[in-house]
Amino acid sequence: MEINIEQLLGTKVCDVDGNDVGRIEEFRVERDGKSCLVDAYLIGASALIQRLSAWTLVRPIGRFLNARKVYTIYRVPWQDMDLSDPHHPRLRVRKRDLRHAK
Amino acid sequence: MKKFLQIALGIVTSVGGFLEIGSVTTAAQAGASFGYKLLWAILLGTICLIFLVEMSGRFSAVSKHTIVDATRERFGFPFFSIMLMGMVLVAFLVLVAELGGIGLSLQILTGIGFQWWAIPVSFAVWLVMWKGTFGLIENGVSLLGLVTISFVVAALKLHPDWLGVARGLLPGLEGDQKAKYGFIAVSILGASISPYLMYFYSSGAIEDKWDVTYIPINRVIAILGMSFGGLLSMAVLVAAALAIGPNGVDITRFEQAAQIMTSALPKWGFFLFAVSMLVACLGAALEISLAISYFFAQGFGWNWSESLTPSKDARFCFTYTIIILLAAIPLVLRVDPIKVTMISMALTAATLPLAIVPFLFLMNDPIYLGEHRNGWISNSVVGIVILISFVLAVISIPLQIIGG
Amino acid sequence: MDLVRDVLDKQLVDREDCEMGRVDGLVMRIGENSQPRITHIEIGGKTLWMRLHPGIAKLAAKLAGRWGPKRTATVRIPWSHVVATGKEIKLDVEARETGAIDWEIWIARHIIERIPGGGHEEEE
Repeated sequence: MEINIEQLLGTKVCDVDGNDVGRIEEFRVERDGKSCLVDAYLIGASALIQRLSAWTLVRPIGRFLNARKVYTIYRVPWQDMDLSDPHHPRLRVRKRDLRHAK
Repeated sequence: MKKFLQIALGIVTSVGGFLEIGSVTTAAQAGASFGYKLLWAILLGTICLIFLVEMSGRFSAVSKHTIVDATRERFGFPFFSIMLMGMVLVAFLVLVAELGGIGLSLQILTGIGFQWWAIPVSFAVWLVMWKGTFGLIENGVSLLGLVTISFVVAALKLHPDWLGVARGLLPGLEGDQKAKYGFIAVSILGASISPYLMYFYSSGAIEDKWDVTYIPINRVIAILGMSFGGLLSMAVLVAAALAIGPNGVDITRFEQAAQIMTSALPKWGFFLFAVSMLVACLGAALEISLAISYFFAQGFGWNWSESLTPSKDARFCFTYTIIILLAAIPLVLRVDPIKVTMISMALTAATLPLAIVPFLFLMNDPIYLGEHRNGWISNSVVGIVILISFVLAVISIPLQIIGG
Repeated sequence: MDLVRDVLDKQLVDREDCEMGRVDGLVMRIGENSQPRITHIEIGGKTLWMRLHPGIAKLAAKLAGRWGPKRTATVRIPWSHVVATGKEIKLDVEARETGAIDWEIWIARHIIERIPGGGHEEEE
């Protein structure tokens, strides 16, 4: 099946129990010679900051505002993502089993 | 030695390109209606512009991207298309105003109405873009623009009250006619803080192949060039305050503004005024046409360069050809250029956030700028400009309706 | 490498560093149990307008059908042609052959070159 990744961008993702996890904000790939393989998906509000490479702007503001909010970026390995319905991506695992990215 | 020449040229470009129908109209109205009291608005606008222009140059010199280029890359096509629509619509109105300004200058010189000049003027502007190189436009027209120094001469000859001028540089609220005062202040800021200048300057840095070594030069050009330009605007305000203010007349027609010069220089004043306005508006018309075309070309990834023969960057040339053609239409239909000017200044102020907020992100991007990212001073200034721009965005349209 | 930050919307250049548009879309192929792979870069056409709204894509397709170069479908370039990424994405192709600059050539031939001083595209 073929999907355009820019159409997936911003789509809400649920985990295997139907809980809201966040939106797909980035696709981490590894280049292997002439091919390009999708390694993981970055999901969550803070992944947007990552995508806009805006950490140098956001972190100081966060510190200034004494933000307690934990930055949420989940790194979902490709095996854990079920894209059979591209409009409603689902995880194959539970939200609490997800790993935070970097 | 070469770098010194470049600095000199850069300053000339900035000075020559600073005055245009918006800045002259708003400064003249400010002087005529409120004396020196609105000088602070020009000062504030100029300071903001110095910082924004320096950042634009630094961004392009280091990242080798233009601002528009980087905005599409960083924020994606959907956001970019919103920005494109907003900026291009307003820029188009400004273009109509500038072409109208050239037309009005010719009108007062020849007596032939501006609507008859609309097509020849548009054709002339198009021809310069078609045949000219970026260097010709940047330097040639700007050198001509030095004739606007006659405004400074006029202001000095009218013997300004320097104490009053100094007081005017400090912000203060006017007692009566608050709405009108506010409207002109907003318009002055809208006329000074021009996002199109940033896009033009950034594209120029790429055309001139700037790199990291140009950062100091960029700083000098931004500071000196914009400062001298701001001084020109202030000269217009002061001259208007002295020449027209005492009469208590409102400037609603272009010819009235000529009094700025004729009071001080009875023999040459009229001619100098018309020629100054003509050249200033011509420079601005070229800059805006380029800025709009850059938006399309850089945003969609087409070839663009003013120095290429047109067939090598066909879509870019096609874009400015269509734009200039369309901009002539309202003028042929006798739409008043002064009215368009005032509306476009207010709208520029209203859409500033759309331009400046993404710019703040870009100026802090480590991938584009590395160690040349904004420091806290620059960021604070941009933050203040964003605040000002949001305030302007909210109040400019209502003020336009009440005080315009 | 991150696709959205480092590839999508980036400028594309061909073998001779000629600008050929931007990465307007990326096609990912998903298998049953195999790792998804990026197979194509898409340029222009429907792909670009779909990012705004499907309705706009339909309208653009209608307009392009009546006026302009014949080949107005989205240009697809296999990922294997990517030579380098960075400031721009360099492809091991020639821009003309891909169809990415069809509009550029069409406008150059039919409009720009008809105006004096427009210059000429090199003959193919």
